[in-house]
Amino acid sequence: MSRPPEVRPLADDADVILRAVHVHKSFGAVTALRDVNLFLRRGEVLALVGDNGAGKSTFIKILSGFHQPDGGTIEWEGAPLRLRSPADARALGIETVYQDLALINDLTVYQNMFLGRELKARLWGLVPLLDNRRMRREAREYLDGLGINIPSVDSTVALLSGGQRQSIAVARALRGTPKLLMLDEPLAALGVRESAHVLALIQELRRRREVSIIMIVHNYSQIFEVCDRLNFLFAGEIVLDTPTSATSEIALIELVKSGLGRAGVR
Amino acid sequence: MSAAVPEPTPQDAPFGAAARAVLAVLARYREASIALVALVLVAYFQARNPAFLTTAELSVVLRDAGEIALIAIGETLLMITGEIDLSAGSTFALAPVVMNLIAGSGQPLILGAFVGLLIGVAIGFVNGVITVRFRVPSLIATLGTLFFVSGLAVTLAHSQPVATLVQEPFNVIFGENLYSPTTPLWSFHTLTAFTPFLWAFAAACAVAVTLRWTTFGLHTIATGSNMTGAREIGVHVERTKIANFMIAGGLAALIGIINAVQYTSADPIAGGSGLTLQAIAAAVIGGTSLFGGSGTAIGTLLGAFVVAALNNGLVLIGAQATQSDIYLGAAIVAAMILNVWTGTFRMRAR
Repeated sequence: MSRPPEVRPLADDADVILRAVHVHKSFGAVTALRDVNLFLRRGEVLALVGDNGAGKSTFIKILSGFHQPDGGTIEWEGAPLRLRSPADARALGIETVYQDLALINDLTVYQNMFLGRELKARLWGLVPLLDNRRMRREAREYLDGLGINIPSVDSTVALLSGGQRQSIAVARALRGTPKLLMLDEPLAALGVRESAHVLALIQELRRRREVSIIMIVHNYSQIFEVCDRLNFLFAGEIVLDTPTSATSEIALIELVKSGLGRAGVR
Repeated sequence: MSAAVPEPTPQDAPFGAAARAVLAVLARYREASIALVALVLVAYFQARNPAFLTTAELSVVLRDAGEIALIAIGETLLMITGEIDLSAGSTFALAPVVMNLIAGSGQPLILGAFVGLLIGVAIGFVNGVITVRFRVPSLIATLGTLFFVSGLAVTLAHSQPVATLVQEPFNVIFGENLYSPTTPLWSFHTLTAFTPFLWAFAAACAVAVTLRWTTFGLHTIATGSNMTGAREIGVHVERTKIANFMIAGGLAALIGIINAVQYTSADPIAGGSGLTLQAIAAAVIGGTSLFGGSGTAIGTLLGAFVVAALNNGLVLIGAQATQSDIYLGAAIVAAMILNVWTGTFRMRAR
């Protein structure tokens, strides 16, 4: 693999596109998010790190409109963010690749790629029907453009490999030309070669600085490869916020081993 | 994507190639296997009693098929979303009772039909809301409305059939006549005898187009196939489910009205759970999955034909009327096994 072009550091005065203040969320008796304070700059790639159950996915699902927060405020491009459903978030340019990928097994590749954003053509200028031909063609072109190898956009996604499914979910999110892209463990189901491909894709997005990214990652070396900054979530609170340039993989592992955050919480 | 049919080698040509082509078609179009079953049934009944393929007998088979199909098409949509409606047979009874009571009070028949249809849609809405908002499984929610609506129909009609008035052209459009052997085959009169099936055919085509070429259809499949995933990507799964309940209720009311026009009266104990279960059987035989995410309207129409042909054909070849349920039961189980089997085959064929 050729060495990717250098990524210039994010300007310090880049504007803040997203700011969460005192966000909390409970499911019945279980507190998922205690008090999350987080910001994200335009074009920044932020890693969200933490143990299972720390609240990473819950926070992402709040930003994607899937869950509604119990309290706190979220600002999006300087205005309060109120999402009633994931459709609202997508309309604002917030795209999410969920951990479960949110693919529909009984639908084809192109139908999945356009789900929620279907292309329509009017029959006799009146009846809005799905423009399956155009969706098929555009899906093909888009996947080819990203270098994603899917034999047929007409096959149902149930028949695809884990890597192909992941690629389609990522392609669907990118096709919405998002301002904010959230990736919940984007590399979990991938082999070495496919992981490298997705990482290269993220690196390319980072180089262009057009989309802000929040990604949940478990593999620390990947964080240092593509992320500008990392936030460590522990028991529903962010207990560490540091640029990746100010720390190292070894230092991070040491921090976690030493019981990071436990002193700060409670 | 079509299943690959390899070039025939000298050993297996021509029969092997033909067999493979047939298998490939069966694997590609799930309606094909049920169409095959329907053809075999027709051939069998015709061989045993040549009276089967006559206009008189087929008008009965197709009338029953249409009646079952219109309800089954609604069930198909619901089953695709992962739900079911047990109350359809009661809506079938209530809608025409309301229509005839309104018409009997001096209002136009068409107004009564409109109100009857609205009531069907409203029952569907209630079913949907109970299922989606109150999280009662639809099997239980619609079991409740099955009794409730049935009781309402019997009460409103004072346990008596209510006569259907004649106000043309309403009666012609909604199926004026039952076919009689003296009727000339190619006449308008004969056409009206086939009204239930014509309506069912139109509904099946409309639903087939909806599932394939509309956002609503796509979202219906997505909702049943992966409800969480569909919600995550922005599909309004609750709304989609409720809408499908409303369509199913409307279709049940429509065929109830057609039935009452044909028989010139609305029987408050018509339809019921027997009709609903036959409709669900038709959908299952037609290839609709009980687990959500897949099903076709054309398959269901064919399934309804199979159920109606079994019911009537068995009587024609001398079986006791009571025996037809034995065959229907066997057919349901066989269809389910076939569905699972062809599903596996379809996966392998790709």
